[in-house]
Amino acid sequence: MVRLDILHSNHFTVTASGLVLNDGIVQTVSNPETSAQSGSVLSVLSLNRNRNRNRNRNRNRNRNEDAGTHGGILEPWKERDKLHAMKADWIDLPVPLPPSPEMLRADAKELLIKQALRKTEPESNRIEEILREANLELSGYLRPLGIEGFSGFEATERLFYVVIALTDEIGLRYKDRYNVVRPNQIEPRLNPLLPNPPHQSYPSNHSLQSFSVAFIFSRILPEHPASSELMNSARRIAENREWAGVHYRSDTEAGYQLARMLTPCLERVCEDQMLAALAEWV
Amino acid sequence: MNIENPLPASETYPSYDALWHLKTLGVLAADSAPNGWSVERCDPPTRVAIIDTSVAVEHPNLVGVVNRDLSLDLFSARLGSFSCFMDGKQPIGNLPLEWETDISDGLPHARRLLTEFVDRLSIGSTAHYRGIKPCVSPTFSTHGTCVAGLVGARPSIAAQVDITGHISQLPLPYMGVDPTCEIVQISTNFDPHPESLLLAFLYAHLIKADLILLPRAIPDPSRIVPELTDVMVGQQDLQQATRRVPLKPEEKEMWTELAQLIVAVSKQCPVICAAGNANEENAIYPANLATDHNGIISVGAINAKGYRSSYSSPESATVFAPSNDAEVFDRVEVRLDEMRPDYDAVGVPDTNSNHKFSSFDVIATDVPGRGGYSSSPFQQEYPDMRLREFGSYFCRFGGTSAAAALVCGFLSLAISTGRLVKSDGLVAKAWLLANSHLISSDTGDMMMPSWTGTPEFPDGPQTVCRVGAI
Repeated sequence: MVRLDILHSNHFTVTASGLVLNDGIVQTVSNPETSAQSGSVLSVLSLNRNRNRNRNRNRNRNRNEDAGTHGGILEPWKERDKLHAMKADWIDLPVPLPPSPEMLRADAKELLIKQALRKTEPESNRIEEILREANLELSGYLRPLGIEGFSGFEATERLFYVVIALTDEIGLRYKDRYNVVRPNQIEPRLNPLLPNPPHQSYPSNHSLQSFSVAFIFSRILPEHPASSELMNSARRIAENREWAGVHYRSDTEAGYQLARMLTPCLERVCEDQMLAALAEWV
Repeated sequence: MNIENPLPASETYPSYDALWHLKTLGVLAADSAPNGWSVERCDPPTRVAIIDTSVAVEHPNLVGVVNRDLSLDLFSARLGSFSCFMDGKQPIGNLPLEWETDISDGLPHARRLLTEFVDRLSIGSTAHYRGIKPCVSPTFSTHGTCVAGLVGARPSIAAQVDITGHISQLPLPYMGVDPTCEIVQISTNFDPHPESLLLAFLYAHLIKADLILLPRAIPDPSRIVPELTDVMVGQQDLQQATRRVPLKPEEKEMWTELAQLIVAVSKQCPVICAAGNANEENAIYPANLATDHNGIISVGAINAKGYRSSYSSPESATVFAPSNDAEVFDRVEVRLDEMRPDYDAVGVPDTNSNHKFSSFDVIATDVPGRGGYSSSPFQQEYPDMRLREFGSYFCRFGGTSAAAALVCGFLSLAISTGRLVKSDGLVAKAWLLANSHLISSDTGDMMMPSWTGTPEFPDGPQTVCRVGAI
């Protein structure tokens, strides 16, 4: 039933200090149609005065360059505890089964083409990206958001590190299950730009981690104009691993699928970190 | 900032009614009574499909508003998991869908998806697609909760626990434009891939929505404004030359089909879109698809003084609706908040639009607790919907998202009260324009929906704003 009578005898007023119910008086009534009984002031309500509607704040470029992007984090044991408590939610997600050897050989042929194109001018800047992205660093995620090198976004950076750390473990478990060999073990003519990581190929952890960061950020601030661009950045990072010769296209796609399906679990595991990050933006 | 001579007006923000936007639209009278309509619910209720983020369905002002059987999440599962089903293995019932639709005729990718989708939605399928949970934590459902509340929130009585542990009844005198409507939330992720949005519009059509609200942009790489395909750099157009990830031919075809599908759907039911918050000349996509020949309604924002909100382009909107304002300091306009404590008049041109700035925001329902735009000081709310505070349940909101939600609610109320017969998008748009008022200003004319014919703006002065019925 719709009770419009509630509006007749009560009202919210927006004041400079917050939202006030019935002129600051608690409405402690059994029947709201009647009386406004006096009581204590309910609360001073924090209303967000954010007016930027998706624009970044003007942050000072005064951060210690060594902090954050290169510093890493302490082991996120609290979040890992939560993750393990929710194991049933992520251990058996319906990732497509890996390709057969025949399919992998076809995929590896595509990687040979990429290897050849890597030397051409339009693709030459990938090499620098690949080398930079080989290790854990955040510039690929922070730059699309416009906060690389800015102070005031430490919680956002920490969230990204936590997501990367947790999804690393998850990805390793799926890799171990499917036990797919690396591309140059299928196609010896491949000359990877990087040494093979010491674990299996499917799914790609770079893909899983990058897309997880992008999906989680889009849950925090979907209206940010860069939410979609962060997805493009994640895809670029993921596909660069194909250009490096260490992952098949199917690895990238499986990482994407797994990241998408994991987000409902991760948003609960990382809720505290996500809220801390959100506070830096609104 | 001049510390020695603080501005006398500093921080003297006026207080205002949290439902001012409903009174400006004429839906509520000055005493908050319905303005010439009653709450007798039409049966079935007007169905509004909102394509946005997830929504906090347990918000006390949204209880009974969101359809828990039909709301679908397309964020995590490709073909969707039903948002409100706790048991993912529970079979869905016999959904009353538009099974025999021809909406995808001529759209091969959409048709392929529709075939898969119809199979997934058929009786006996599980609530969670392939066991994948929906991505709908209320903590991170802010935008969807704000928008849903503006459309269809209902006044409610909640239980509140005070510091002595005493439980009392707490009125929450807040409502959306149409408190009798039913909202089906269709949540998607923000991956710039067309599939989820194709499915979202197909689903809105399948459930026979009376209205579709899209309070966001769609990241179609070819249609993000400004479009780049008309500028050549060497042998490539600028869009191709600057893309970080190549666009696959199939994706390009699907994006094109999405645009065609939105237009086709809009001819059957109105699609209300936000026009954009950055003065986009011809609105963001897909609001910029609005023409006289389809049912897409592009909505801009007007502030509580009756001026176009500084961020809302004068050319881009079919109609304008109440929202907040923003400061601007550029060659086109200088509109600054002189009440801001650090306001500095140095460098501000003598000829400015500061008088047009309004500090009023639109108040919306917010995610209860720590999440959302307004945060609770408590780590956890009490169980059983007992409130510890109500500050986190509402927030300041604005932009053309808010304005679009209000226009959607306005149309919904018109259908619910019988002023507008359920109709196709073109008829509904024509009705909306016929029930709007022309507001003229030095930056152009605006049409604003008005329930009564006499828009009133609470932040004045209204004399600069000439209002007249058309």
